[in-house]
Amino acid sequence: MGTLLEVKGLSVSYRRGGVAVRAVDAVDLDVPAGAMLGLVGESGCGKSTLARALMGVLPGNASIDGGRVALDGEDLTELTPAKRRQRLWRELSFVPQTSMNALDPVYRLRDQMREVLCERGGLPTKAADERAVALFRSVGLDPVRLTDFPHQFSGGMRQRAAIAMALALNPKLVIADEPVTALDVIVQRQVLDTIRRLGRDLGLSAIIVTHDISVVTYLCGLTAVMYAGRIVEQGTTEALTRRPTHPYTMGLMNASPDLHEPVETLVPIEGAPPDLADPPKGCRFAPRCPLALAACRESDPPPVVVEPGHSAACFRAAEAGALREAARKASTWTR
Amino acid sequence: MDPLIEAFGLTKAFPVSRTWRQMLRAERPRLKAVDGIDLTIRRGDSIGLVGESGSGKTTVGRLLLKLTSITSGQLTYRGDHLDRMKGARLRGFRQQAQLVFQNPFDALNPRFNIRRIVAEPLVNLGVPRAEHETRTADSLRLVGLAEPQRYLDRLPHQLSGGQLQRIVLARALVVGPEFLVADEPVSMLDVSVRAGILNLMRDLKERLSLTSFTISHDLTLVRYICSRTLVMYLGRIIEQGPTEEIIARPAHPYTKALIAAVPRPDVDQPRDALPISGAIGSAATPPSGCRLRHRCPYAFARCASEEPPLIEVAPGHTAACHLHIA
Ligand SMILES: Nc1ncnc2c1ncn2[C@@H]1O[C@H](COP(=O)(O)OP(=O)(O)OP(=O)(O)O)[C@@H](O)[C@H]1O
Ligand SMILES: Nc1ncnc2c1ncn2[C@@H]1O[C@H](COP(=O)(O)OP(=O)(O)OP(=O)(O)O)[C@@H](O)[C@H]1O
Ligand code: SF4
Ligand SMILES: [Mg+2]
Ligand SMILES: [Mg+2]
Repeated sequence: MGTLLEVKGLSVSYRRGGVAVRAVDAVDLDVPAGAMLGLVGESGCGKSTLARALMGVLPGNASIDGGRVALDGEDLTELTPAKRRQRLWRELSFVPQTSMNALDPVYRLRDQMREVLCERGGLPTKAADERAVALFRSVGLDPVRLTDFPHQFSGGMRQRAAIAMALALNPKLVIADEPVTALDVIVQRQVLDTIRRLGRDLGLSAIIVTHDISVVTYLCGLTAVMYAGRIVEQGTTEALTRRPTHPYTMGLMNASPDLHEPVETLVPIEGAPPDLADPPKGCRFAPRCPLALAACRESDPPPVVVEPGHSAACFRAAEAGALREAARKASTWTR
Repeated sequence: MDPLIEAFGLTKAFPVSRTWRQMLRAERPRLKAVDGIDLTIRRGDSIGLVGESGSGKTTVGRLLLKLTSITSGQLTYRGDHLDRMKGARLRGFRQQAQLVFQNPFDALNPRFNIRRIVAEPLVNLGVPRAEHETRTADSLRLVGLAEPQRYLDRLPHQLSGGQLQRIVLARALVVGPEFLVADEPVSMLDVSVRAGILNLMRDLKERLSLTSFTISHDLTLVRYICSRTLVMYLGRIIEQGPTEEIIARPAHPYTKALIAAVPRPDVDQPRDALPISGAIGSAATPPSGCRLRHRCPYAFARCASEEPPLIEVAPGHTAACHLHIA
């Protein structure tokens, strides 16, 4: 299968009190048709900014500084904003970080579905209502509830409704920003199972933004790890979690608890991601990286292919095997 | 050892809005968020409370801290009835029992600096001013903020999420409590930071010989802090026992679901299908018999007619399910 979404050198900045904050910095990313890609990283690393840039729904103080975003070979960044908006829902759709933002509190779900299906999709009302029923069923919601207002739904139901809406016009790609973060474990699992089934049955292509590696291993065949505005490692989820090559990925794996493993002291990554208004020189993870060398603080490590389809931006990528051993020890991470 | 806290038939009901028909018939529907639970917490215990959203966990936590009134049942702290506690005893209790809020971003006044935020409980308890500075700094050191001077003059938005959660802990610890209720203490934090806070809570529990009660929907987190766990569903405790035993040998279908639902970082772990279906429903209209029965794959006739009592399935481990009664 070919590449559905191809992102090359994409950079996005926010203007904040006279300074530019480069929240997404020269990002390269490919999503093949039919694949789900997990985008993971800590809070403030630029995941939502990247997601919004792909959708073309950045806030007013943000600008795209360069790069291209091609969907099925067509560069979206060259389209006029009006043309770009037309693509929304039909080709690309979005489940935002708080699903309440996706749903308008003063309209019944049916009316919100009609707005997408009739106004954007050009369906007549009757066909739209039929489609809304089918969509609700496909995400495990009772179609009777289409006449409800969003506040009558539980958090999990709202999340499903937001997903149903994103699927309304059979988009080529769905981008979901933290689709399960606010939910309890049971509802979270039900929503993840819904997305998984849609992936299997409809061959849905999606980017799933999350800070939780466990969500990615459950849903996504591919993973990209983001740190301080950059993609620091990407590959199949299998390769990346079995053979993490960037120390940041190793740190994320260490810090993720597994209920079925013996309780050990968890290993945190000390410190916090840098202020993107003034990022450190060299590798942006170096100030927190226990494996950093002097060279890491001098220049940016370029991405290195470590095996087919798996790359990492770390000067020590070639030594990853030995570093993984060291990274597993708690003493490596505590200073 | 003497129990620190004991509850019998502890119940909290909230009024719910009435339909016209109910008003005409003078019905006053009520929602029992906590419905007749028994509980013993001994000094030094670290107890976890798990369950889905809406199961009543936060309400239990608020009852234990006397932040909300009891509708019926009994609740004692060192043998004193909490609902009758007043004056010096109540002030003593307010010092001894502290809450760690769920969301550090909401819990802290954004306009107050960290010094003022952490010292606030000292002010409320009338601790002499002269002691504030040292006690505040000591408390920050206790939660791993080694150089307190670096933080005291900052505002909440100038700290990271993990630092803020440490501030929330420092504020709870500044008065030297013996009992700590933590409601979802790490759910708002990044995994990388969570690990540090969980380790810290474990460590503090030992060092300060705290008695703790930790609320979360995720057993993975509770497990790091709590030696015993209670599982709650629609206002009732449906299983309780040593945490590791509950994880290794869950007896109730609901507990099995909570365990199966937990996401795991390993790519090719066996993925158990979720054993229960549907949603929790409202505590205003709980089902007859076992409250889980509409969602339970094992339900049989008796589950609709009789509510299963908590019975012992292993030493110190009880569950309320008819499958274990037959
Ligand atoms: N509208 C905005 N104006 C200025 N700066 C912003 C704006 N939105 C985000 N930022 C900044 O851009 C950076 C990246 O933010 P972004 O929301 O993309 O991160 P994220 O990875 O999605 O984090 P989270 O996991 O917390 O959602 C942060 O430093 C943030 O403070
Ligand atoms: N002040 C209140 N008035 C009316 N109903 C309430 C009130 N507080 C809680 N409830 C209801 O009591 C039930 C239990 O709520 P509670 O907040 O204790 O659950 P929880 O287990 O903490 O859920 P979560 O995981 O979402 O925090 C819910 O049905 C809730 O709507
Ligand atoms: S009592 Fe019946 S319905 Fe309830 S959990 Fe046990 S088997 Fe299921
Ligand atoms: Mg985000
Ligand atoms: Mg709660």
